[in-house]
Amino acid sequence: MVQFVFSPKWFWGKDIFIDAIGVFVLVLIAVFSTRYYKLNRNKNYLYLALSFYLISFSYLAKILTNFTVYNKVLETATIGLFTITYQKIRVSEILFFIGFFLYRLFALSGFYALYSVHEKQSKLNIFLMLYFMAIATYFSLSPFSYYVFYFASFILLSSITMHYYRRYKRNKHQATKFLAVSFGIIAISQIFFMFVNFTKHFYVVGEIIQLIGYIILLVAFVTVLKYGREKNKG
Amino acid sequence: MEGKRTRVDIIGDMLSSIVGKGGQIKPTHLMYKSNMSHGQMKTYIDDLVQKDLIKKVKKNNYDYVIITDKGHEFLQKLREMREFEKAFGL
Repeated sequence: MVQFVFSPKWFWGKDIFIDAIGVFVLVLIAVFSTRYYKLNRNKNYLYLALSFYLISFSYLAKILTNFTVYNKVLETATIGLFTITYQKIRVSEILFFIGFFLYRLFALSGFYALYSVHEKQSKLNIFLMLYFMAIATYFSLSPFSYYVFYFASFILLSSITMHYYRRYKRNKHQATKFLAVSFGIIAISQIFFMFVNFTKHFYVVGEIIQLIGYIILLVAFVTVLKYGREKNKG
Repeated sequence: MEGKRTRVDIIGDMLSSIVGKGGQIKPTHLMYKSNMSHGQMKTYIDDLVQKDLIKKVKKNNYDYVIITDKGHEFLQKLREMREFEKAFGL
């Protein structure tokens, strides 16, 4: 049977809360980017919004799936009827499979879309990458090979980090520095998720590091708004 | 080299020029400060008046263009957008 629960029991629910914070930050930036697109019709804003929406959808899929998984396992604990609960999980397996598949597919697509906003790709390249990501997502669902997904995420996030770092060296904008740091931290969290099979504590560490990354991403966004408002006062 | 100014860039430059002059400016000054032709400026002024971002008033027999509260809000949004663009590299 495919492993669905990566979190230690004491951390159940807390990871959902952390992921929800990620969704909040991502949607916030996506909403503003959409609003700016409506102002100047520059398609880059639209693509940026789309990439952040895709990543937030991935976390939503993860939240919904984890919520279902934890509730199913919780039933086992309270009722204590092992056989019945086991059957329930088997019945729901397809649901978990779809949930995690969407989580991984949306996450990789979102990271790649964000990467493509900055590093322009040919249509053929985009098609090939999407195909590769669909394959990688599918195979990452087999037992113990989910690290394929986290490794792919790590590579994409590292590339995004490098882009923002190079950009920061040119523009010296405080918010760009925060962007580079936040995506760098989120990339590091993927390394911990990769080794979650050794101990579930890696999942906890990964989630906490990811939370720090999203908080810094929020700081980056707030810095952008703050600078814009200060300029208006000036 | 900077690219061709978009419509939003021009509106931003116009509103910034008005704010730079303390919230009101003579149309001729606005034309020079925003780097526009007379015909272009007339079209933009009519459009911005219609959108309630600026108002045309007469003071001491001179025409003035003044920025409205809505114009201030719009300019703030534009500046936030510029910072967003700069930070994200769009």
